[in-house]
Amino acid sequence: MTGALFRWMVREEWRLHSHLFGWARFGAFPLVIAVLTGLGTWLLSVTGTAPDAVAGGLIALVGFFGLQVGTIGLVGRDALRDVLGDVTLLVFSARTLPLSWRRLLATFLLKDICYYTGFVLTPAVVGYGVVAVASELPPESVALLWVAVVAAFAFGASLSLALVGLASRSVGALGGLAVAVTSAVLLLNVDPIAYTPYALYADPSAGGAVRGLLPTFLFAAVGLALFEPVDDGSSSRRRATERLFTGIADPLTRRPLLSVARSSGSVGKVAFSMGVLFAVTALLLGEITAATGIRPHSGVAFGTLLGLGAFTTYSWVTQFEGQRTYLRYPVGYDAVFAGGLRAYLVLSLSTAVGYLAVATLWYPATRLVVGLLVVPGVAVYVFGVSAYVTGLSPNELLFDTVLFALFGGALAALAVPLLVAALVVSAAPVAAVGGAVALSALAGTVGLWLCRHAGPRWEKRLRTT
Amino acid sequence: MPAIETTNLTRRFGDVTALDGLSLSVESGALFGLLGPNGSGKTTTIELLTGQREPSSGSASVAGHDPVTEPMAVKEAIGILPEREDPPSFLTPREYLTFVGEVREIDDIDERIETWAERLEFGGVVDALATGLSEGERQRVMLAAAFLHDPELVFIDEPLVNLDPIMQEQVKAVLADYCERGNTLFLSTHYVDVAAELCTHVGIVENGELVAECDPREMSEDELLEYFIAEVGGERAEVRT
Repeated sequence: MTGALFRWMVREEWRLHSHLFGWARFGAFPLVIAVLTGLGTWLLSVTGTAPDAVAGGLIALVGFFGLQVGTIGLVGRDALRDVLGDVTLLVFSARTLPLSWRRLLATFLLKDICYYTGFVLTPAVVGYGVVAVASELPPESVALLWVAVVAAFAFGASLSLALVGLASRSVGALGGLAVAVTSAVLLLNVDPIAYTPYALYADPSAGGAVRGLLPTFLFAAVGLALFEPVDDGSSSRRRATERLFTGIADPLTRRPLLSVARSSGSVGKVAFSMGVLFAVTALLLGEITAATGIRPHSGVAFGTLLGLGAFTTYSWVTQFEGQRTYLRYPVGYDAVFAGGLRAYLVLSLSTAVGYLAVATLWYPATRLVVGLLVVPGVAVYVFGVSAYVTGLSPNELLFDTVLFALFGGALAALAVPLLVAALVVSAAPVAAVGGAVALSALAGTVGLWLCRHAGPRWEKRLRTT
Repeated sequence: MPAIETTNLTRRFGDVTALDGLSLSVESGALFGLLGPNGSGKTTTIELLTGQREPSSGSASVAGHDPVTEPMAVKEAIGILPEREDPPSFLTPREYLTFVGEVREIDDIDERIETWAERLEFGGVVDALATGLSEGERQRVMLAAAFLHDPELVFIDEPLVNLDPIMQEQVKAVLADYCERGNTLFLSTHYVDVAAELCTHVGIVENGELVAECDPREMSEDELLEYFIAEVGGERAEVRT
């Protein structure tokens, strides 16, 4: 029966994407992924980056992607409905059919891994592989990377499931786990990377395979055992958050904040999404230092990546709004986006400041202060680009080739110079830091301009189509 | 042996008691209506009896199985149509019903799909994506899914809510025919006229408590309405005109 369920779920996923985004745009998506990855690999090789470092970065990115997919897909029915609109999926058949929730969830997870392997992961490895093989890297290393990348996606999605499952049972247990992992890393010098699929790529032995793959099975088992699609709407934590937002006078700011607070995962999902990026950034900073001896500027790097990661907050803030909802109200879309921006800044900046404070445990506070200056500009830019390009439906980026390329290009235009500034800080510290702060301020101004023009643009578009 | 039997079934959500000590017995072949205003505990009752939720206390037997310890056995034996449940958006009705047939291991699934599509008049959209169907069409597909394996007991939450008057009459005929063949139907509704017209037995719930039981065949629709209003305090009764 599981085989039939899997086949129907794959068919459903294909239909969903091709229906929402159109055959041509959706069909071109793997090609775009391959081209972008190939271009990125080539550019990095031109700058002297070792192929193994590029492969490591790709594994980390895919792991992050798996976490995000897992977070969105597994936090509950309302979250899926908010992401995809008013849709019903086979994964929710447990109410009416003799199928256990665990069987449905396990099949759903397996389907996601296979589906994204076909449409995203394999094209990405092909893009990398073309450049790598042209640079005389053995094809076996590309095949190994493919295995590691698929495993990294499964690792991310399973970790999401396990963390959400644990949090649904006991927030205290989740906190305890975080403390235990942090303690193991700091006090016992345990290298967490050695227990991820990267270990399989770095050490393709039986030991590397066990260390690289076993945690994924463990996370999946824990997640499937613990995850319950329950609504924790009555929790005191959520009520306290709601009270905080209920007092906000502006209804267009209050509405998205309350929607986020009252939906599955409450404001915790914002912290989780940005926390994943924070952890990846911290790991990458350590890896870059270990591999190259360069110490990137932690403030610029955290400020940039947390600001970019605020895109997930944009998604949470807007996902409860239909594109056309506000056409029914006597309110302009410029005011809607302005209210959304305020809600977005409340959530994303407070979260980013929190993570920068956590980062002071490892990095000098004097450097992280720069992050406080960089993150607002980057975050406002991300909001402006998202609002202008996608309106109130940021999830259309998922598989819309044109929007994806536009959005990716706009973000890269800011991210690349900022990250270069973070890397060259030892050569020209004042210019690098000053340039990063100035650039983020300029980006913030551009973001505000885009935000102001997003309202009229979308209002006109929605009224004429 | 009763098709459904509950003893002091109770479900609390935090400080709120959604169902408070429900004890009832539904005989095989009955068309039992659980009648009550919005928020009175009808949907919670169906969720407990079909193994979708576990009770805070009390016990139940459904089709000879315990929904707490044997939820899969209950779901295999019965059909369920919850309120506001749609077929998967990106499958066609035919594909969804085929999937249901595979899960329930039905051999002659193609013939059954044709039969139900004709009976509930969704043959014209049987190969269209569910996301493009009207609410009434989606509800008819879900009705077919609930009856597809020819179960002896079916639970339906608000059976007529999205249907036009003509289709309401056809669905009523389907439900009556189903019970005349010795099967049991448990439906919840807040429409008195639906309970009066269809049901052989009615239980009235208010604030999570079963406050009365009656046989609607022994009274007129108006009498049932007066009885219902008297039992629920007359404040939240809903009567369709």
